[in-house]
Amino acid sequence: MTSAAPATTHGAAQDTLDAHERLLIDQAIARHANRPGALLGVLEDVQAANAHKFLSMAALRYIAERTGVPPSTVYGATTFYSLFNLDPQGDNVICVCRGTACHTRGSRTLLEKLCFDLGMSEHESGETKETEKLAITTPDNRFTVRTVACFGQCALAPVVEVNHHILSHVNERTLQREVKALTQGRK
Amino acid sequence: MPSKTISVRIDGELITAQEGQTVLEVARANGRQIPTLCYLKGLSAVGACRVCVVELAGTDRLLPACTTPMQEGMSIVTGSAKLELYRRLAVELLLVERNHVCSSCVSNGHCELQTLAQDLGITHVRYAYNNPRLPVDMSHPRFVLDHNRCILCTRCIRVCAEVEGAHVWEIGGRGIYSRIVSDLKDDWGNAANCTACGKCVQACPTGALAEKGLAVHEMVKQTEKITRLAAQRTSH
Repeated sequence: MTSAAPATTHGAAQDTLDAHERLLIDQAIARHANRPGALLGVLEDVQAANAHKFLSMAALRYIAERTGVPPSTVYGATTFYSLFNLDPQGDNVICVCRGTACHTRGSRTLLEKLCFDLGMSEHESGETKETEKLAITTPDNRFTVRTVACFGQCALAPVVEVNHHILSHVNERTLQREVKALTQGRK
Repeated sequence: MPSKTISVRIDGELITAQEGQTVLEVARANGRQIPTLCYLKGLSAVGACRVCVVELAGTDRLLPACTTPMQEGMSIVTGSAKLELYRRLAVELLLVERNHVCSSCVSNGHCELQTLAQDLGITHVRYAYNNPRLPVDMSHPRFVLDHNRCILCTRCIRVCAEVEGAHVWEIGGRGIYSRIVSDLKDDWGNAANCTACGKCVQACPTGALAEKGLAVHEMVKQTEKITRLAAQRTSH
């Protein structure tokens, strides 16, 4: 093994944690100490404490370091559960159901219309792209649009969840009204 | 180690085995050929590839031989038209999922997936190819990770965690988006936990993990070394 050891520093591009964030993580770890399967609880608490409801790479690295769980396991668990976000979330989260029942009742057009109204260009219908399940946030950080496989409310299809409230039998107009209310409510 | 002797049937033949042995171990010890892909002797078995499925008398379900413990009175069939069908199906779906282009692969001629496909007589696949756009990680000074060839058998993950103890690899994402990731999806060359031991490369059944600087056909894996290392570890 003559080649140089791989660099362990991750460059300046990596965001770092301030003392307060580290404290929050340490507290979360302490709360779940000595419990089997503590990782999920820790991740959940750390994400809930974050202002933008996400887990930064620096946070994951710190959690791995402090708990002794291999970083790869932390990353694997974080990406396995859709509950965890690796990107900052918008102030309002709109979740469009893309399950079969909602699909047959037009959830794709709802989603497209919603993305169009919010000025999101990323979503192109049709081909599956090599991206994770859709979760886009507007540049001003006010809205996040995501999709979900099923809410289990198929009788109410199509279903859209706005800030954890489920709207049933949604059509373009009701959704538009809802978004408008959120936009104006914030002004 | 006191273990009970049990009698079982494999393909109708009466065979004595030790309690705690898996169906695969008993069958192989008695000269039966059961194909495997995600199984590597010395590593824990996960039963992920479904290529080692066998028939058990009294149930319609096919059981993976690598994870099923042999029990008293079991009657196993290791080869039949039905098994052939399901094994072929499993391999075809693996071939469809990523870009397994043998002619430009470092492992061409020494690939377990390729050999298995040939043994099963797969000349074509019945499904549309996925043709995903997948990256190749060249950041490691000695090795290459080519996601196009990966079948997610997790042998690299297990060898790294169980034999080397570094636990660099894991599966990130889920479903069709599952990928092998090193550390926090760092480039392999930047994965701080990697000891550059190369065990994952030797354990990999395809050309997904390979040594750098090899041309087509040149990457020969030494899986028996992994088995030997693992045996050394447990005997101490």
